[in-house]
Amino acid sequence: MTDALEGLPQHAIERLKGLRDTSRRGGIFTSDFSVNEFLMVGEAGFEPLGLVVGSCIYHTGIQYAAWAKNQEMSVLSQAMYEARELAMTRMEEEAQALLADGVVGVRLEVKRMDWDKDILEFLAIGTAIAHRQGHPGFKGVNGKPFTSDLSGQDLWMLLQSGYRPLAMVMGSCVYHVAHQGVFRSLGNIGRNVEIPQFTQAMYDARELAMERMQHEAQEAAAEGVVGVQLHEGSHNWQPHVIEFFAIGTAVKAIEDAAIIPEKMTPQIVIPVND
Amino acid sequence: MGRFSDLFGNSANAQATARAAEWETALGRNDLPGFVKERLRETAEKRRPWVSTSAPGSLLAQRLRGVRPVGMVSGNCWFHYGYSWTEGHYQGWKTAIERLWQEAVLMGANAVVDVTMRIRRMPGPENIEHMDYGVVGTAVRLDGLPESINPAVATVSALEFLRLLEAGIVPVGVAIGAQYDWLTLGTGLNMNMAPFGMNAPGMGMGNMGANGPMGVGSWWNQEWVALSKLAERVRRQAIGQMRDDGLRIGSGVLGQTQHSELLNFPADQENPYPRFLMRHIAIGTAILHDGRAVKPLGVVPVINAGNDGRLIPRNKSKGVI
Repeated sequence: MTDALEGLPQHAIERLKGLRDTSRRGGIFTSDFSVNEFLMVGEAGFEPLGLVVGSCIYHTGIQYAAWAKNQEMSVLSQAMYEARELAMTRMEEEAQALLADGVVGVRLEVKRMDWDKDILEFLAIGTAIAHRQGHPGFKGVNGKPFTSDLSGQDLWMLLQSGYRPLAMVMGSCVYHVAHQGVFRSLGNIGRNVEIPQFTQAMYDARELAMERMQHEAQEAAAEGVVGVQLHEGSHNWQPHVIEFFAIGTAVKAIEDAAIIPEKMTPQIVIPVND
Repeated sequence: MGRFSDLFGNSANAQATARAAEWETALGRNDLPGFVKERLRETAEKRRPWVSTSAPGSLLAQRLRGVRPVGMVSGNCWFHYGYSWTEGHYQGWKTAIERLWQEAVLMGANAVVDVTMRIRRMPGPENIEHMDYGVVGTAVRLDGLPESINPAVATVSALEFLRLLEAGIVPVGVAIGAQYDWLTLGTGLNMNMAPFGMNAPGMGMGNMGANGPMGVGSWWNQEWVALSKLAERVRRQAIGQMRDDGLRIGSGVLGQTQHSELLNFPADQENPYPRFLMRHIAIGTAILHDGRAVKPLGVVPVINAGNDGRLIPRNKSKGVI
């Protein structure tokens, strides 16, 4: 165990100790793998160590947007970034304490509380895994465990294609969409027309989220980002405020020839009932 | 704040204002702001990481077949429908797709795959007359082909795109048909619809929606001919429009989505008679193919370990290769 244990509560350390050593009595791994996922992680040369979690309950600050102005809600953007980052970092700390090479199947969830609209819970949860032979070539950025929202099956497939995961990368932008003035609204009555102000807001918010995600990947010295999803949400915020959230797994070509799998040529299957 | 605090600097306000001005000018000229163009160009030139919506398995299959992801491209159009919600769909989607296409051109892409279509609405009754049409997809390059000035836009996934290419079929774009029509009761034009003389005003029309074609007191089975005709006419027109749209770019249209609605509006002060509105929207992927040169697929049966040997359900088929 390493310095990563600093800052972790005692009960977490006890749990993690029990997880890592499967050879001794009481040692056991935990995961949220399905049967196929478990088998494919094994096929990829890894073994599960334990479910790792990080959470962050966050009070978002207050920011008022000008009624008729398109603008980024930078206080909220920053809050969404920081809280996710905190949850992720805490999950990574657990993985580090387990001496994991990475965490797969990471889910990053945001929950709102009915009792206070300014409070959000951020949860990062995934399964820490380690290479069975202990090869060091799978670590993520700065020698830390990699993180990925890819499933066990996708991890196997990614390695087969000569890439390895580096880190989950994300970009967030909370944006206030300007209200239309009465005169402008009246001008649109009976006409089929674009509302450029609204179009622009969506464009800009999406662009900012994607740009930030790509920036994170660049910082991680990644070659590309796979499985990118673009989410939109309004977490109990006032109407006209929307978050664009881009998330994916930054990847890099496997450098060490010893762990590059043999080239395979998968066949595309067409399900006949679709 | 971690690694990215530089994104939220003090000069953020000034930057945001300049950015908004650039957006306004660019969209007004059917163009994109300089900073977006720069990001797209740098991504295409591999100075920034490539970005793809595809899962690893799909990426591997793409690479083995000479298809390389470049970056994500998108477009949207927030549209106000004054005289027609239905036609707004046609115009909104077309504009959004055109903008996505423009981004793909800037990346020198040969095609855009995995294009997803999404609508956005704003909450509140004051916002029912407008919504956003948004499209996002992954721009790809095909080995051996030069940069394209007219990339194909495909709503099919990257794997389906490959399968089509292998079969000698090229998905080229999105075909849309959107039509609507009104039917007003009691105008004398619809006599064939109301055997009980219900087309006369004031005959309990308010109950039409709830009680079916004959209203309260109907005793026997009978087709509501006028409404059938309305529905059929609108559907045929919409499908015809999708066909014409597809014909402009391809030789066939594959299914994507069909949406229809039949709405009932009771009489009010402005409209003394009850009215029906029928809408139909059909969206499909246009393909270019030669029907005479169909290649056999060479079907090999496999059993999917994921679901106990049954055929693969629709919602699990993504990423299965």
